[in-house]
Amino acid sequence: MNLMQAFKMAFKSIASKKMRSFLTMLGIIIGVASVVIMVSVVQGMNKLSLQYLEAQGENKIQVYAYQYYGSSGNISDLLYEYCLGMQDLVLGVTPQVEVWQDITIKYGAKTFNTQNWDDWSKRLTIKLGSDQFGVCNNYTLGGGRELSFLDVEKTNQVCVLGGGAKEILFDFVDPVGETIFINSQPFLVVGWYEATGLEGMSDMDNVVLLPYTFNRTLNNNQDINDYVVKARSATDTTLAIARLKAFLGGFITPGENGYYNVYSNNDWSNQVQEQSLMQSLVLGAIAGISLLVGGIGIMNIMLVTVTERTREIGIRKAIGAERKSIIVQFLIEAAVICGIGGLIGILLGCMGALIAGKFLLQGMILWPSSVITVGAFTFSVVLGVLFGLYPAIKASSLQPVDALRAE
Amino acid sequence: MLIDIQNLYKIYNEGQESEVRALDGVSLQIDRGEFVAIVGASGSGKSTMMNVLGCLDVPTRGRYNLNGTDVTSLKDKDLARIRNREIGFIFQGYNLLQDLNALDNVILPLIYRGTSIFEREELAMAALARVGMDGRAHHRPSQMSGGQQQRVAIARAIATHPPIIMADEPTGALDSKTGRHVLSILQQLYREGTTILLITHDDGIAATAPRVVRLSDGKIISDAHQEVDWL
Repeated sequence: MNLMQAFKMAFKSIASKKMRSFLTMLGIIIGVASVVIMVSVVQGMNKLSLQYLEAQGENKIQVYAYQYYGSSGNISDLLYEYCLGMQDLVLGVTPQVEVWQDITIKYGAKTFNTQNWDDWSKRLTIKLGSDQFGVCNNYTLGGGRELSFLDVEKTNQVCVLGGGAKEILFDFVDPVGETIFINSQPFLVVGWYEATGLEGMSDMDNVVLLPYTFNRTLNNNQDINDYVVKARSATDTTLAIARLKAFLGGFITPGENGYYNVYSNNDWSNQVQEQSLMQSLVLGAIAGISLLVGGIGIMNIMLVTVTERTREIGIRKAIGAERKSIIVQFLIEAAVICGIGGLIGILLGCMGALIAGKFLLQGMILWPSSVITVGAFTFSVVLGVLFGLYPAIKASSLQPVDALRAE
Repeated sequence: MLIDIQNLYKIYNEGQESEVRALDGVSLQIDRGEFVAIVGASGSGKSTMMNVLGCLDVPTRGRYNLNGTDVTSLKDKDLARIRNREIGFIFQGYNLLQDLNALDNVILPLIYRGTSIFEREELAMAALARVGMDGRAHHRPSQMSGGQQQRVAIARAIATHPPIIMADEPTGALDSKTGRHVLSILQQLYREGTTILLITHDDGIAATAPRVVRLSDGKIISDAHQEVDWL
């Protein structure tokens, strides 16, 4: 008996008992769908993180240093000077301050408050930086110019808009040369950055950038604790981090008189990738358990089927079926049930992943990776064969006469 | 000698109180091209006899040579081959697969035989035509009368052109007219040289066989040749 014929027989047998076949498949369908959805969501989440990191550019070092009140020396200024002094390693250095006071931004009839959280996508953030802010954060200038050294030195009332802020305030009009009002003070827009185009991550785009010297008036003159250093290469990043840690360690004993932290987004992206693998494995294993339960369901139903069809097995043996043919027939039936279940599961999984992407990951379009899809399908067919084996062997080992006697 | 059994036993629950000797030291020889009726009351061991002769069951003890081969020592694969190529079975309850139509039922032994896909349908249709069922090839068993189902079962038995046909009460579930029709098909096969083994409890049907072997309590009590009107 050839395989073609065996497949045909399997399909016929499955089609003649649609409801039961479907119920048998249900375990596999749910198992495969949950594997596909879980792994897709994890991969989607990490893709978002990686995109975010990528948009910020590589070799970006974030430095954070904080001294307890009353400690001697001003680490903030010293740190800035030290960073600027690493000319051989760095492309740019900027203080990086996000202003958390409630500030009003006005242009024409439009008014925005920085503490208005009603609509995330329309919330504007004021950031303070130096003339190297764009370089350090991987922004591309869309028009006009960056902040200049003089703007910082003289505390000029100028600003650069992120792509999102430009669109919110000016729609698609060129903002360069226009004036916006920040807390009723006029600021001249001198340039704007291209939008990063990250879905659901507005904090890099909905930005109004002012010279960091406005820290005095807009941010209660709080200490500047955060700096961003853009290194020239991956090697320089490692070197710069080592130097910065050594420098800061000379002033601060963590926990005693302050804290500091130096890290690059190169490390971060490695971490995200490692994490992604771990999460995929853990969630995949959990979903695998449901597949296993589905497989046991298959075995159960196949055993019932064998009992029910004992007479058929007897007839087939009486007209010349070998043990092998009977085993193959039942195995193929189990494999086909699982295969169809797997396909339906993948279909549902894809739909589920799309829905999950829409509601959990800011409308991201999630497509399950082909490895997971093919893997889940193969796994379910293998399950079918494994769990079909025992019933198939049981069916084939009957004496024809005993099988024929069954009712 | 086509079938040669010596001292054949089939004993259930041997050595226990409930021991049943379905075949109790039976010896029998059947030549190629014979028409033999095996007759006995229910429980006489005649069905066990057919199951053992048809390689559907294994004897407890004894020797069984089929066509010169010692069947008792064969493995499953060879037994399957014998059931497929040497013997065609006709059962009282037809034993057709309900999910398959007449044609597919008749094709089944050809599939197990390994007949090429291009010949199968032709051979199966020829077998159906022999029993006058070619017009119903695409009907399922549930859409046919008992006589029609039995004719399809005969077609399935002869599809591989086996030299032996074993029929276990083939007319048992049929009215007398259809029963006669089924018998006449067997007689026709006999005239063409097929060896026929007919198992029955009905003396009227036994009277149509040229040789009658009577069984009682698992033993042969008579073995006689007789004149029949249809030859």
